[in-house]
Amino acid sequence: MNCIIIIEMGTAAVRVFAFDLSGNLISSSKGHYPTFHEQPDHSEQDPEQMFITMLYILKNLLIEKIYPKKYTVTCICFGSSMHSLLAVDKDGIPLGNAITWADNRGKKEAAELKQSSLGEEIYKATGTPIHPMSSLIKIAWMKNHEPEKFRLARKFMPIKTYIIQQLTGACVIDYSIASATGLMNIHNLTWDQAALNFAGITPDELPDLHPVFYSGITLKKEYQRVLKLSPTVKILIGSSDGCLATLGAGVWDNGMATITIEDSGAFRIIGDKIIEDPKQQIFNYLLTEKHIITGGPTSNGGVIFNWFTKQFGDFQKAFDVDQSMEMLIEEAADAEVGSGGLIFLPFLHGERAPIWNPNSRGCYFGINIRHERKHFIRATIEGILYEMYSIGRTLEKHRHIDSLSINGSFASIPFCTQIIADIFNKPVSTLNYGDSIGKGAFLLSATEMGIYPSLEEASKTVTMHQTYLPNAQNHQVYTQYFKVFESLITKVADEFDAISDLQERYSQ
Amino acid sequence: MNQLILQQGAAKELAHFPHILEFALKKNNTIQLNSFNSNVADCICLYYILEGKFSWIIDSQQHTLYPGDFAVVLPGQRIGGESGILNIGALFWIKISTEDCGKLLLGKWSGLTKKEKLSINQILLVNKQQLVLKLKEAHTLMHNLQLELQNEEVGFYTRTNQLLDELFVLISRQLIRQNNSRRDFPQTFLKLEQTLRQNLAHQWTVEEMAALIGMGTTAFTEKVKNYSGFSPLNYLINIRITEATKLLKKNQVNVTDIALNTGFYSSQHFSTTFKKLTGYTPSEFRKNKTSDHQHTS
Repeated sequence: MNCIIIIEMGTAAVRVFAFDLSGNLISSSKGHYPTFHEQPDHSEQDPEQMFITMLYILKNLLIEKIYPKKYTVTCICFGSSMHSLLAVDKDGIPLGNAITWADNRGKKEAAELKQSSLGEEIYKATGTPIHPMSSLIKIAWMKNHEPEKFRLARKFMPIKTYIIQQLTGACVIDYSIASATGLMNIHNLTWDQAALNFAGITPDELPDLHPVFYSGITLKKEYQRVLKLSPTVKILIGSSDGCLATLGAGVWDNGMATITIEDSGAFRIIGDKIIEDPKQQIFNYLLTEKHIITGGPTSNGGVIFNWFTKQFGDFQKAFDVDQSMEMLIEEAADAEVGSGGLIFLPFLHGERAPIWNPNSRGCYFGINIRHERKHFIRATIEGILYEMYSIGRTLEKHRHIDSLSINGSFASIPFCTQIIADIFNKPVSTLNYGDSIGKGAFLLSATEMGIYPSLEEASKTVTMHQTYLPNAQNHQVYTQYFKVFESLITKVADEFDAISDLQERYSQ
Repeated sequence: MNQLILQQGAAKELAHFPHILEFALKKNNTIQLNSFNSNVADCICLYYILEGKFSWIIDSQQHTLYPGDFAVVLPGQRIGGESGILNIGALFWIKISTEDCGKLLLGKWSGLTKKEKLSINQILLVNKQQLVLKLKEAHTLMHNLQLELQNEEVGFYTRTNQLLDELFVLISRQLIRQNNSRRDFPQTFLKLEQTLRQNLAHQWTVEEMAALIGMGTTAFTEKVKNYSGFSPLNYLINIRITEATKLLKKNQVNVTDIALNTGFYSSQHFSTTFKKLTGYTPSEFRKNKTSDHQHTS
């Protein structure tokens, strides 16, 4: 029997999935790697550790779970989180750690570029909002702040390229990951000259660009041997987590969108055209040149409720954060819709879409003497979901959307799913399986192998598990509170800057 | 749900189990004065809440128990309802006698080894102030205990005692987890990782690593495995190979020094471990590193 292996280099862990050719999950395994925060705005990971962890997990999965069941691996496909950046020297050796998407060190570079007409031009060409998350800004920051490292760097690459290079020797990047670097021209599928000029690099300092179906690379002999894989195993370059999750969410039809909320989150639609947004609030990433994933990311998803739980959850009875979170949700369910007029701005990590303001901060607004603990819990959850609604509304200016599919551990908590349905006033469906990135990567591989005639057909095989219908009355309440939520954000814009400045100056 | 109260001496169901003093499934529909007066336990009392909300005072601490909650009261501890009342609701309880004047909690009936009995003793006694747990898993156990006692099917004697053992194991494990309740395990784990990296040459044992963050080895291993996907020792090997990879890529350090610096006890041990994972011996890897690059540039 044949099987397909998916290697997903996620933000906090590598996940390896094995699917049979009908798309059934045979087995999966994960290995965690740490994120280092040497300074408040910094977020880094060790590329060697990521590689070794991946190798270890892959090898154990194959030898313990896959080979004993008599499966033969025919294809290995890669997925990865976006926006990471690693500089390597002339010998291909990493110059320090990889910088992750969550790193904000390039705040100043981003703010300056965003206000310029060059910034607008680069956004239009690359589809990536001007923000410290992008490789563009990270390289520019290195040029300004670490000139020696910048000088030694021969290539700049995302972590996915590094991992594939270790395994195969080839220095390649797929359109999906490349379109999220802020360096790729998504209209003509080449590195964008204006962006490269701003970053201070040339095209040969970047990996070779390839479509997501590219498979012209082979495993090094040593890895074939140690992983007991045949030299004919197809190595498929694959795509990014965001594009794969959208493919795996079964929202190919016009009028559908998908919401992912894990620690962070995103609202995404798929289409055949790049959607240009004069306000530069949304991204356009390429699954293929004809399939564009458009959407907006939030930095404040489940991670905010996780923070709330750590601070205010009950740890007398609960033995970990997850259990304490469950107890809080039971309490929240006891508070009325709209939390009795308590409104929470969830920007503890600053925010990306739609306001793209790294200085924005959190806030509880409208507290009165009757508010209880349960209202704060519920308001926290509602605030995270209002923010998702505000991203959704930005997308709705460009596309009519009548139903949603959701995935991710936070969004799929039934209590949250129902609130999403009520806030959006649209039916919300959950998917039949846990991981839409893995599923999307399977669909991509299976399409490349000819099992499905096209990505459209592949995506149609995704089935929904359960649909939550909106409650019109609750929607009424949420709509009115959302107005306050939205106007509050614009009204305190100056105070966001002021408080974040003070925080930087006075916090230890 | 039928009510059931079995008492040692009166109920024939308990005749084979002298250590079970009482087993009950009670549905309480009315509030009566003095229905649950405070008194000092002379045996182990275990309570599992099925329905309702119970306000109890255990060893002068106030507790509110909801469905899924489990209370353990040890000999010498005081328990009673608030104002001596048993609230409306449903619950299971079981009372078990102890041996050696209460010193050994699990008697001869238990199939656990002496060592295991002693650890359970210790765990229960150390956590004596925090013996109200969330323990939904106990529901099935209590229910099965009831079936075994009532139906007396073949093997019921062994089964009943096994279920009791299982219950104590479950309680102890939950206490270990709860005791080590880390609001922020990822943060703790990151600190551990940094400590390990700083002193990679040291021959770390699981006990040492666990002690470093104040956990028992069992809970530590479980938590690390759950969080990282690796057993603690495998995670350590991972870091060792990671650091060794970096050193191999810098040509200055010789392979034996790399092996010792990263905690392998010999260059042979390093070589075998490294090759098992990467397919390269360390020196092949080092040579290959430079030739690789020539292909791609």
